[in-house]
Amino acid sequence: MIAVEPQRIQSILEAYPPEKRFALAILQDIQHEFNYLPEGSLEVVSARIGTPVAQLFALATFYKALSLVPKGRHIIKVCDGTACHMCGSSSLLVAIKQLLALEPGGRTDDGQFSLECVNCVGSCALAPVMIIDDAYYAKVNTEKLALILDAYRPGGEHDE
Amino acid sequence: MSITITIDGKPCVCEPGEYVLEIARRNGIFVPALCSLKPVLTERGCCRVCIVELVEDARSKVVVSCIYPVERECEVFTQSEKIVRERGMILALLKLLAPDATLIAQLAKAYRAPDLDRLEPNPEGGTCVLCGRCVEACSLLGTSSLAAVNRGVSKEIATAYHAPSATCIGCASCAGVCPTDAIPVVEDGAKRTIWNKDFELAYCEVCGELLGTVASLEHAATAAEVEPLFLCPVHKQKVLAQHLAHPYKP
Repeated sequence: MIAVEPQRIQSILEAYPPEKRFALAILQDIQHEFNYLPEGSLEVVSARIGTPVAQLFALATFYKALSLVPKGRHIIKVCDGTACHMCGSSSLLVAIKQLLALEPGGRTDDGQFSLECVNCVGSCALAPVMIIDDAYYAKVNTEKLALILDAYRPGGEHDE
Repeated sequence: MSITITIDGKPCVCEPGEYVLEIARRNGIFVPALCSLKPVLTERGCCRVCIVELVEDARSKVVVSCIYPVERECEVFTQSEKIVRERGMILALLKLLAPDATLIAQLAKAYRAPDLDRLEPNPEGGTCVLCGRCVEACSLLGTSSLAAVNRGVSKEIATAYHAPSATCIGCASCAGVCPTDAIPVVEDGAKRTIWNKDFELAYCEVCGELLGTVASLEHAATAAEVEPLFLCPVHKQKVLAQHLAHPYKP
């Protein structure tokens, strides 16, 4: 029923006391481990801490940090706050669509990239800002974009 | 120590900490409310229809009467000009959220809600105002099959994964507490369909009266640690009376 190795979820569960207040922390850890909340994982968490599955599903759909569908190996976040928007974040989105056939909220067919369009990340002086995994890229234009993305393609210098 | 407040000019005695809506209702003053269902459910304060104007120390403020505890003497107005205007706006917005709900349309008309032509009604139509009564009712029964999923404009009441819930017992309590009849319950004599799940219906073994779903009777019996009895209240009484009258007969 669970699409991934149950032991990996089990060890995350055992890191916390079986109490309802750890629901979000456990879901975050599962998200971090698998890049999404695998099918069946909510049921396992529910059985352990006693929070109903419906409530865990509500948490999983409420927080953007949690996802019920698999995410790519690298998550690209393009800031579309006011400053970034004015400095051309929409042309970045168009360029990403051309380069990777990727729309906001989607994942590439090879599972390498996910794209998210986010609101202000608080780095307006660096607009337009793009974040891949935990690395920030400032004043990105379409030429820079292609080079940055190449580093994250399979075998690229940032693709570990 | 009791205090006296006035609601629409009528003196009302109450205890400090009591909610304005309860005091008004106890004194026969009607305040419309959608999400409040005391004493069955806890106060939610989310529909905002029950707003009233409260004047305290010559200062006026608009409060949500179902969750506003009275602390000292004050004057409450349930029909002031400001309240009529603001309640009308709230109802107009609820009507856009749930354009197919008869009750909301009636309330909007009765409280002279303005026509908000510049705003689009919910394109999916619907009758749910997201008050969350159903979620709490389901939780109180110990089934917790429902939750408010997603957020913002895509928020809705649903089961986990939008799939038939493993814990749902088909009791239809959610539909029973819904103020706008937004939860469809379909019965065809043999089964009830609710939240995409089919349930076998149970009838009284003697007179054939509809009792509910088999699963809900079993759930209640398990909670009470007894065997489920498929009898209506009248025949349950008769069977138990027989049992008491003849305790030693098999």
